[in-house]
Amino acid sequence: MGKFLLLAFRNVFRNRRRTSMTLVMVGGGVAGLLLVGGFFAYMLRGLRESTIHNGLGHLQIFNAEHFRRDEVHVLDTGIGNWQQVAAKTRSADHVRGVAPRVEFYGMLSNGVKSAVFMGSAVDPDIERSMGFSPYLSAGRDLGGNANGEVEALIGTGVARSMSVKVGDGLTILAVTADGALNGIDVQIVGIVNTGYKEVDDRYLRITLPSAQRLLQTDRVTNLVVGLDATENTDRAAAELGPRLGGFSQELTLKKWIELATYYKQVRTMFDGIFLFLGVIVFFMVLMASINTILITMFERVREIGTMLAMGTPRRWVVALFMAEAGLTGVLGAVAGLAAGNVLGALLNASGLHLPPPPGTTFDMNFRVLHEPGLMIASSLLVIVSLAIASIWPAIRASRLQIVEALAHV
Amino acid sequence: METLVDVDAVSRSFPLDHREVLALDYASLRVERGEFLAIAGPSGSGKSTLLNLIGCIDMPTSGRVVLDGRDTQTLKTERLAALRREKIGFVFQTFNLIPVFTAAENVEFPLLIQGVDAHERRMRVLAALESVGLASRAHHRPDLLSGGERQRVAVARAIVHRPELVLADEPTANLDTQNATQLIDLMHDLNRSLGLTFIFSTHDQRLLEHTPRIVRLCDGRVVEDAQAAEADRAQVAAAIH
Repeated sequence: MGKFLLLAFRNVFRNRRRTSMTLVMVGGGVAGLLLVGGFFAYMLRGLRESTIHNGLGHLQIFNAEHFRRDEVHVLDTGIGNWQQVAAKTRSADHVRGVAPRVEFYGMLSNGVKSAVFMGSAVDPDIERSMGFSPYLSAGRDLGGNANGEVEALIGTGVARSMSVKVGDGLTILAVTADGALNGIDVQIVGIVNTGYKEVDDRYLRITLPSAQRLLQTDRVTNLVVGLDATENTDRAAAELGPRLGGFSQELTLKKWIELATYYKQVRTMFDGIFLFLGVIVFFMVLMASINTILITMFERVREIGTMLAMGTPRRWVVALFMAEAGLTGVLGAVAGLAAGNVLGALLNASGLHLPPPPGTTFDMNFRVLHEPGLMIASSLLVIVSLAIASIWPAIRASRLQIVEALAHV
Repeated sequence: METLVDVDAVSRSFPLDHREVLALDYASLRVERGEFLAIAGPSGSGKSTLLNLIGCIDMPTSGRVVLDGRDTQTLKTERLAALRREKIGFVFQTFNLIPVFTAAENVEFPLLIQGVDAHERRMRVLAALESVGLASRAHHRPDLLSGGERQRVAVARAIVHRPELVLADEPTANLDTQNATQLIDLMHDLNRSLGLTFIFSTHDQRLLEHTPRIVRLCDGRVVEDAQAAEADRAQVAAAIH
């Protein structure tokens, strides 16, 4: 077996120029997949973390009724005894914090203009401790006011459409839990840029007590759970699930991925693009390799004839060609991994920026992540491509007529 | 004496330009174990075709070839390969060594495909290379060896697995006189010392002078099967040594 592999290895380097060209092609395919896949992975990770830290959190706890029916009154599918639920949740492993939230909607007015908002009410201290601070383009976050004014953050789109700025006052109008119309005056302390124009055009954030006063209820819509790392989401969910069973309300736990619709759409699209690239690389390596291996076979017809004449089993000849192709694939994959990682590191060090993607307002860093899973998958792809490419030439070689092969010039 | 090869009324034709070319025409030949036999004749007389049939790398159009008691036409491809692997050693006109293997590795190859263990392989390769006088060149690749050395490596490769029969197709055709003579002497020594049966095709008169039995072919037919007389054999032996 060792000698057999040695023969295959030496045959790979018999024609160094041709082998080098093959390695460049195979390695180029692997490097290309690593760079594209690494960049996609970076974008997806960025999108994932921004989705989570823009307020989605890693886990969310809801009243189970919230997903079964529409609310008749504001927060009638909210969580009533949320302080106890939060306390029990906080004691689980990996949990950094539990933030109560009230999601509500209504109208904003400055006396001259009105606008519809989609609001959320938060405990700013808890949010900050969990790293869920909003990105402010002006002003400051909630919670720094000592003079008793009700504070609000609004989106850049809201500020623009209503021609307001930090320090201006607004009136919030919303329907209470009893179905009555209520309003409170707030002072704008900050302008938020979430990166998504559609969100910024409707964004409002106030403190939890303010919202509960506005809506005339002590319930919350949900509890947002922040973890020490996104990778611990499944572990934490498995631990928290059973803990939520002992309350008077039926509670349900949702992972961030179940709530991140936009993230899932983007990911599906990137997966599709990457699959398409993988298919292109597969066929590129396959076609070019079949040609190369056939040329190699024709150059060695007499040698193969000699081996067959000596009684070498035909399956050995097949195995030899496949081993040579497999070794070429391994070497190409190693070259590609080296090239892809070095190029990725150079690109990361170059500090390249890309224009904002559609629907967002931030420039994007160009970074390539070095993903072990991607490296393994890309390497396997080219090794399998080469092994498949070698099947036909290998079978042809094994079926050579010995006498004709020995007479081959 | 025991018959090793029995070629019985064998014909072999090949298609060429919509007609059949008869390369061997009803040829018969019987070779005893331990013989040193030359198949002679001009180019196109059917020497290589006859060797190919005896070596089980080609099949006759009619007639039969019996090797070591086995009718080769009744054997399937894999059994024929096994027969060649175990019973036959080949020496080719153009040496046909594997260029990426060293001399020792080339000699080792027949043992490798027989599944002989590594220790045994090392011992037998060394012995085979010593028997052809090339132990010191064991780790050289073919491109670093002279033509004579390459052909001696090919002979070592043909005998390393202790076959019953060594077939050599024009083994001296690419060698100068000195190397050709050395090769003939070597083959004859191996024939005598190991009892190996040698059949080779040639039209090299130098080689024929040292051969006790010559089968002459012409136009695919056996036209002469000359067994040297006892006295001639002594002369042949004297000529060799």
